[in-house]
Amino acid sequence: MTSVLGRRVTRSDAEAKVRGSADYGVDVVLPGMVYGALWRSPVPAARVVAIDSEAAWRVPGVLALITGADVDNHPTGLALCDQPLFGWPVVRYEGEPVAAVAAETPESLEKALDLLHVEFVERPAITDVTSALSPDAVLVHPDWASYASPSGAEWPREGNVVCELLSDPGGVGEVFSSAAHVVRDVYRADRQYQAYLEPHAAVAEYNSGRFTLHVAHQFPFNVRDRVAHALGVGASAVRVVGHHIGGGFGAKLDVALEPYAALLARATGRPVRMENSRSEDLMTAQCRESAVVTISSALSASGDMLGCEFDVVFDSGAYAIDAPYLASIPMFAVGSVYRVDRTRVRCRAVYTNTAPTGAFRGVSGTYLVFAVERHLDHVARELGLDRRELRLRHLRRNGEKMLNGQTLADADILRECFDRAEEVAPFSSLGKGPYRGVGMAACVWLTNPLAGSAVLKLNEDGTIGLVTGATDNGSGAVTMGLRQIAAEEFGIGASDVLVTMPDTDVAGYDAGSQGSRTTRVVGMAVIAAAAQVRERVLSIASDHFEAAAADLEVVDGGVQVRGVPSRRLTLAEVAKLAASNGGPITGAGSYSTPLPNYSPTCATGFLFPAFPTPTYHLHVAEVEVEPLVGTVRVLRYIVVQEVGRVVNPTGVVGQIQGGVAQGLGYALWEWLESEGGRYRQRTFESYGLPLSVDVPRVEVVTLEHGDSDSPHGAKGVGEPPIVPVAAAVANAVSDAIGAEVDAIPIRPEAILEALGPLGASEHRE
Amino acid sequence: MPAAVEFRSVRSTEEAVASLSEHGSDACVIAGGTDVMMQYARHELSPAVFVHIEGIKELTNAQRDGSLRLGALVTHRHLADDPVIRTGHPALAEAAATVGGWQTQGVGTLGGNLCNASPAADTAPPLLVADATVELCGPRGIRRVPLEEFFLGRRHVDRRPEELLTGVEAAPLGPRQAEVYLKVGRRGGMVVAVAGLAARLSFDEQGVIAAARLAVCSVGPTPLRVRPAEEALLGLCPSGRMTDDGYTALEEAIAALSGAVSPIDDVRSSAAYRRAVLPRLLRRSVEVCRAAVRAGISQDDLS
Ligand SMILES: Cc1cc2nc3c(=O)[nH]c(=O)nc-3n(C[C@H](O)[C@H](O)[C@H](O)COP(=O)(O)OP(=O)(O)OC[C@H]3O[C@@H](n4cnc5c(N)ncnc54)[C@H](O)[C@@H]3O)c2cc1C
Repeated sequence: MTSVLGRRVTRSDAEAKVRGSADYGVDVVLPGMVYGALWRSPVPAARVVAIDSEAAWRVPGVLALITGADVDNHPTGLALCDQPLFGWPVVRYEGEPVAAVAAETPESLEKALDLLHVEFVERPAITDVTSALSPDAVLVHPDWASYASPSGAEWPREGNVVCELLSDPGGVGEVFSSAAHVVRDVYRADRQYQAYLEPHAAVAEYNSGRFTLHVAHQFPFNVRDRVAHALGVGASAVRVVGHHIGGGFGAKLDVALEPYAALLARATGRPVRMENSRSEDLMTAQCRESAVVTISSALSASGDMLGCEFDVVFDSGAYAIDAPYLASIPMFAVGSVYRVDRTRVRCRAVYTNTAPTGAFRGVSGTYLVFAVERHLDHVARELGLDRRELRLRHLRRNGEKMLNGQTLADADILRECFDRAEEVAPFSSLGKGPYRGVGMAACVWLTNPLAGSAVLKLNEDGTIGLVTGATDNGSGAVTMGLRQIAAEEFGIGASDVLVTMPDTDVAGYDAGSQGSRTTRVVGMAVIAAAAQVRERVLSIASDHFEAAAADLEVVDGGVQVRGVPSRRLTLAEVAKLAASNGGPITGAGSYSTPLPNYSPTCATGFLFPAFPTPTYHLHVAEVEVEPLVGTVRVLRYIVVQEVGRVVNPTGVVGQIQGGVAQGLGYALWEWLESEGGRYRQRTFESYGLPLSVDVPRVEVVTLEHGDSDSPHGAKGVGEPPIVPVAAAVANAVSDAIGAEVDAIPIRPEAILEALGPLGASEHRE
Repeated sequence: MPAAVEFRSVRSTEEAVASLSEHGSDACVIAGGTDVMMQYARHELSPAVFVHIEGIKELTNAQRDGSLRLGALVTHRHLADDPVIRTGHPALAEAAATVGGWQTQGVGTLGGNLCNASPAADTAPPLLVADATVELCGPRGIRRVPLEEFFLGRRHVDRRPEELLTGVEAAPLGPRQAEVYLKVGRRGGMVVAVAGLAARLSFDEQGVIAAARLAVCSVGPTPLRVRPAEEALLGLCPSGRMTDDGYTALEEAIAALSGAVSPIDDVRSSAAYRRAVLPRLLRRSVEVCRAAVRAGISQDDLS
């Protein structure tokens, strides 16, 4: 049997998804199920004075109505306990839940929500980071000092500043004062909505003191823990059952509707279903944060980067969510790809009266890399240097360290990325012609190290059952990758590996679909579990053949005496023998990637201290600007990506194509404008996702420098292809119009303004 | 919760008019439903009766007999694909081809687009520059209204509750005439116009603009024909390189155009951007029409 690795295998959920029979979170229907919904605040900042629920209660079919006054409304949270279940008595963002209602039918539910009367006193809303930071700013959380982190971690924070990261190696000021050139830029980026097809939904049951939650979630074990914490019950009182996920991209890592569905299920004694409308989802999903990045470089006369000041302020929204972790990402966006001698980094996450922001594929990296790479182009222009040359000159080499003190043993891969992109199309040959431009952007990204596990069982028909809490967020990491890795251990086809859906009562802990971790981390757990299964297989075969286990091998779905294929048992035969020889065969494996060495003193407020299993990326974009109206068309897009080992080419190319499409949306079309704390765009009619006609075929080059400590060398693939996209596109647009581009999204307005008044454009043609 | 609504499918114009007369403003006409269903879902409509007209066969035709007569139920896809419309009304065909996506074009109708009277209705500017007239059928017979007068405000047209829009009549392109519809969107498809401009220009033998029609959408409460700008274009002789005179004339047209529109900031764009692109669209439309007429003439010369 040839290896199943590197092959295009069919996803285990392919047929169900194609036929429309796949059971997503929104498809869950239980006997006796009733409907729940949230009454959400229509204003961004207010004090709730009174809630009059009498009329709502009188609607026939209403079963429960819960407000902050009815529950222990204690604050909880992912990184910091600052978020109560209900915006009561204080509302901190538009869309914040104020009450939860359950009713027999959607109709009575809607009527009850209409009749619920909430009396507010509106308060001045802090709607942007600048006013949040001003010394006399109203505090979004006057009680900030009383909040604690669930992990007990502490970090610098004060007032509206949720977290401050500071890294100052010293000597930066001196470098700047003696530099030949100083170039300074300020970049801005707006928010981005994850825009998956399936909105947040949850179905909850409450029976015999336990909750069961049916979700389509990237991180079922986090749902378990967060719901338990919010409701004040033990984690074992909550069971989370996963269903097919209609996309998440980070927005389904924290809880959304789950705690409310659980509350309503307990209150009604009936299964309760909740589902966001698209507008609710868009308004309240933890979208990518908006940010302002200031970057200054101190340069020698010949353009060597001697020093850098990197200052980031991002909008955490009304609650911290994972902002205290994200505040560390700037430490990996600067000084990782390009060498700078002395770099000072400061990052502040700031509270505002806007929807909380959170994880989105490529967390923070998208705009941080945008700032770094735009700045490099600006430096090159200012100093009259070639953009590619400037980059090559500063590329990190094997063994050099990132700002956190972590050694990049294989940083020479970066140079290979640049070489391979040049082979696809020489940089200097692209972007020729009026209003055309080319740009490049590189990054180093991590493979999330957090723990995962797998149980393998040898089924009596010789197939392998794979029980895991890992979730397949659409990437194929479980439905293709893990099945391939398991199949490889037994020499069987991937179709003979049957994988369960996640269930926190059944499977061991898993840290969720995030940071491209599943293939790498859970793949290791699968291999460890397989080793135990193989050991039992060999021992049973050794009894059967009366041969030493060392003389046996597991191949092609069976076990045989080495070199004597005629003395062979199939796996099915072994499974049957096992019944009377030690019992059914199972194996269990667990894994988490050890954190690489880093310097704990390199920064304060540093909660995300290393980039394990680093991967390397170079993107090149060629664009054409339509000078008439200032729109941008992407003509070519080239990605060179280090993946360790291609487990499944369909998966790898699909993730890269998808990441680029999502990055192009971020760069060009997806506007999420905040006005007075409210989003202007609230449906897909105005929130402009890219269409197939907007996205070019992505030209993909994969590099395979296998990691010796990864499953067959595989590193994380899915998250990073979005990271450098906005940067590469912005550089290309800037090249096309001969002007700086300093904001994401790149608006036609900005391009027209840069092109100058009518008539001027004509002369360039 | 909306109350139960009656859904009545009719087979003829008479039947439709009878239904509309019976229910007056409690009735809502539904053709392709691509606007109606969205508005209904958003609780912007609460009719007692939907009068469903898609089954009226006689309103689905497009006929060319001197002028073009389009039934109210002609779909966008039909407008985009019909060779007669593509040659006689290229701007209309282009506009229809940009409406929504394939599915929207397949069921969305011309009558619905005009009666819905969105500020961004794509078929309106090309029909305005073709001097279109709409035909309304009521219990007391037929009433014809110039399209320019039909639009009264955002989502507000000169139609009485008991009237059905049955058709549109428009003048096809004449000799030495060309037209274009330029639509501004953010992405490559499925966009509601950020701004749109249709121009139909006639040129004399010297290449001087002898007649001009200009209309815009998404830059005011209704699609709008811009007569002052049309007048300013007369006598302009656009060439590859604008002469000083030509340029001045265009500046006047631009000023007139800017004076006639009242764009706003909304989810799709800013007023400032809309103001910034309009002059560029006007200029491009003149170039495109000039080039088309030239190409047409050289083709005529060859044949
Ligand atoms: C996804 C999507 C994208 C869209 N994109 C665009 C776009 O790019 N450009 C654009 O212009 N529009 C767009 N639209 C709007 C819509 O598709 C068009 O306006 C379409 O032409 C409406 O036709 P309809 O037959 O569906 O009208 P309906 O929805 O059936 O009716 C629209 C209105 O007209 C009235 N009406 C319809 N027919 C008659 C009649 N014969 N007599 C009297 N009243 C009548 C109805 O009562 C209603 O008020 C889009 C819609 C969707 C859903």
